[in-house]
Amino acid sequence: MTVGAWICLLAPLAGAVAITAAGTRISRVTAAWISTGSVAVAFAGAIVAFVDMLGKNPQNRSHISSAWTWLQAGSFKVDLSVLVDPLSVFMMLVVSGVGMLIVLYSIGYMHGDEEERRYFAYMSLFVFSMLMLVEGGNLLLLLAGWGLVGLSSYLLIGFWHERPSAIRAAKKAFVMNAFGDATMALAFFVLIAHSNSLAFSTAFTTSGHLSSTAVNLVALGLLGGAAAKSAQIPLHTWLPDAMEGPTPVSALIHAATMVTAGVYLIARTHVIFEHARTIQLLAGGLGALTIVVAGLIALVQTDIKRVIAYSTMSQIGYMFLAVGIGTYANGMFHLMTHAFFKALLFMAAGVVIHALAGEQDIRNMRGIGALMPRTKWAFLAGSLALVGIPPFAGFFSKDSIIAAAMADGWEGWVFWVCALIGTFLTGLYTFRLYFLVFRGEPSPFVREHHHSDHGTEGPWTMMLPVGILTVLAVIGGWIQFAPFWTPITRWLAPVAPTLPSAEPHRWMELVASIAAVLLGLAGIGVAWLVYERRSLRVPRARSVQRLFEHKFYFDELYDSLFYKPAAALSEWTRRGFEEPVVLAGGTELGDDAQFIGRGVRRLQTGLIRTYALALAGGLAVLAVVFIAVK
Amino acid sequence: MIVAADAGNILTWIVWVGAAFACLASGVAVVTFRNPFYSALALIGNLGSLAVLYLLLSAEFVAAAQVLVYAGAVMVMFLFVIAYIGHRFETPWAGGPTWQTVGAVAAAAAIFIEVVVAVGLKAGGRLSHSEKVDRAFGSPAEIGRLFLTDHLLAFEITSIVLLVAAIGGVILGSHSRAAEEVSA
Amino acid sequence: MLGPGVSWYLGIAAFLFGIGALGVLLRRNPLIVLLSLEIMLNGSNLALIAFSRQHGNGDGQIFALAVMAVAASEVVVGLGLIVSLNRKRLALDVDKLSTLRG
Repeated sequence: MTVGAWICLLAPLAGAVAITAAGTRISRVTAAWISTGSVAVAFAGAIVAFVDMLGKNPQNRSHISSAWTWLQAGSFKVDLSVLVDPLSVFMMLVVSGVGMLIVLYSIGYMHGDEEERRYFAYMSLFVFSMLMLVEGGNLLLLLAGWGLVGLSSYLLIGFWHERPSAIRAAKKAFVMNAFGDATMALAFFVLIAHSNSLAFSTAFTTSGHLSSTAVNLVALGLLGGAAAKSAQIPLHTWLPDAMEGPTPVSALIHAATMVTAGVYLIARTHVIFEHARTIQLLAGGLGALTIVVAGLIALVQTDIKRVIAYSTMSQIGYMFLAVGIGTYANGMFHLMTHAFFKALLFMAAGVVIHALAGEQDIRNMRGIGALMPRTKWAFLAGSLALVGIPPFAGFFSKDSIIAAAMADGWEGWVFWVCALIGTFLTGLYTFRLYFLVFRGEPSPFVREHHHSDHGTEGPWTMMLPVGILTVLAVIGGWIQFAPFWTPITRWLAPVAPTLPSAEPHRWMELVASIAAVLLGLAGIGVAWLVYERRSLRVPRARSVQRLFEHKFYFDELYDSLFYKPAAALSEWTRRGFEEPVVLAGGTELGDDAQFIGRGVRRLQTGLIRTYALALAGGLAVLAVVFIAVK
Repeated sequence: MIVAADAGNILTWIVWVGAAFACLASGVAVVTFRNPFYSALALIGNLGSLAVLYLLLSAEFVAAAQVLVYAGAVMVMFLFVIAYIGHRFETPWAGGPTWQTVGAVAAAAAIFIEVVVAVGLKAGGRLSHSEKVDRAFGSPAEIGRLFLTDHLLAFEITSIVLLVAAIGGVILGSHSRAAEEVSA
Repeated sequence: MLGPGVSWYLGIAAFLFGIGALGVLLRRNPLIVLLSLEIMLNGSNLALIAFSRQHGNGDGQIFALAVMAVAASEVVVGLGLIVSLNRKRLALDVDKLSTLRG
């Protein structure tokens, strides 16, 4: 079990190191296949760990395997260890499995790029970092993986580093995530202060004994990190800009894996959150808010990737909602199905972008479905899964969350309403996208710019993963159909048991499913009427439209709150302190030294008699001193 | 100061007064004469009177060495050089910045006073009492014995200093001859 | 001892030293400066001999002899310098020899 976990963790690292060390000695394609191979080996390791764990008793499934002591400061010890338990194996499978498919896809997508080797080294590094995050045996290794995924994200968003917009987006992502890292570190400091250890077990037992302020601070710090990494309001503004990176990067990092790390964190440290119930509900509230806000913004986006990005933000809101009310297994289940269909959507969009030589504006893409039928069907399958229409994957996971919300008291009803509004919006914006891009007659732009790849829609390295993910998006949800069969809930129960307050009754499940499906279909229907049949017009409400287009003015708010004061402060410091005090002080020191030197020069008269006089005078003075002293 | 008025004592006093006066006068003369030749001659007189004083202090060997070495060799060398250089009147007697002159006088006076005061203070009443010495004190035998036993190191180092000075003199002399040949 | 006490000799020594110092500091002819230097050395020699007599210890005389040897060496070098100055037709005036001025 632990052998599989170690292989899973270290294989991508070995791949990244191999590609970096080999440099230009290997061809670009070789580097690409090394990377894909290393992630495939990781997936194999995860499967080994999973199979191994299946054979064990459910009580016996948590193991921490330590390599050596990493840090030691007095009695504070941190080991280099991996934690193998149901939750981490679950994440390992999702990360390495979907990762493997996406890295394979990248081979086709990034073919011909000048710096392919660097890209694949970064991708392997990212997979390693994400695996370290989920497999880390203590909170410090989790934080190390956390930081490393932030770094990989920065490196990959800014991959096309000649583009200033890409550089800016990478910096924005990194800085916002750094804020989250800082709050997490502060939470860890509180834990260390109270328990002198960052092991999971110690942290969880200590959180039971902390004062309510302390445990709330710890939970708040963890929530800050989770919200930053998962792009929830208010730390969400970096995700749309992160679409500057290549499409596979958006698929892997900003849909399937990194942005779900926040959900994983809350599920992993749910014990702490359960002691700080307010913060946990706050997490749920942020999720609910994000569902609605992101959905609204997605309605007016014109870049295909940005629509899918806001959709990601919205769906992670569902996951936060789930872990916020305590139904962790459903949150993780939705994480898994979301990974399937969101990666599928991004990859299908990537095929279209690739075929149109980089065009991303949906207003120019009309009708490409006629020229690329396979991609169209894949995108349709992903969209249906996203909206949650049975029997596609999203139905099973999303509706369980909505049902659980009904069970959880008055705030649960608020969340429930938000979740249902979200379902309607999801249907609306997803199918707006589908109808605008894939339906209808091909536009002149499409006819002019479309180029096919030797007669097929794309190279096999791109179409194969799309195909696999289409299948998973269709059937992947059947693994758990609450309340009839729930293997995932049972699998995760030893580690992340659902809170009793979040267990829905039978009738709640029924109501939730019916309501969600109806609203989803309503959204699709409205989109059909507006964009396909053109019988409804989009209502013109200038101010509302502008509000959505400016993404609720969050960027402007942060700009005036943080950037402008900081810039003003640094300018003031430069003018008021650096120039007059530091620089002038330096030059003044030099001037003073020269002045003293000029004075001393006057002693050097060159006349022997002066020097002799100095000697005699000194002698006279010394004689007095000697007489006086002795 | 008031001692038994016997002939030896009075004679000693008379000789002392004469030698002291000659010493002081020749000292002032050395410093004040314009002509370096006269200054050198005054210095010879100074050395001679000092030799007399040394004799009064029972330092016979030192007195003899003073006359032979200092007055005999060193001053002859001085006179050689002065004669060689010739009479150059253009050098002013003194001058330069006023503060130099004032400072010089002040410093010299201060040193003189301080030496007197210091010695007077420190010595207390002990200066009036002198040890009795035997006839061997200050004799060549005694000096020789001291040089070769207690102060052997000083003896050797002094000889090295003399050697170095001789070498330096030769170098100084030869350098200028070479320079003169170049410039001529 | 016969004659004046040691303090009288010391007075002469101090006077000689002061006069010599005055000569060194005031005169501009390097030859005279050297001669004044000799006066100073002799003054200290006298003091040494006087103390040697007072303590009955021959060490002072040894020291005085060493001083004499050193004085002789220094005169050799100083006169060599003056002769060089003369050969270079430089002014024999210590105030004019100031190229080491800062």
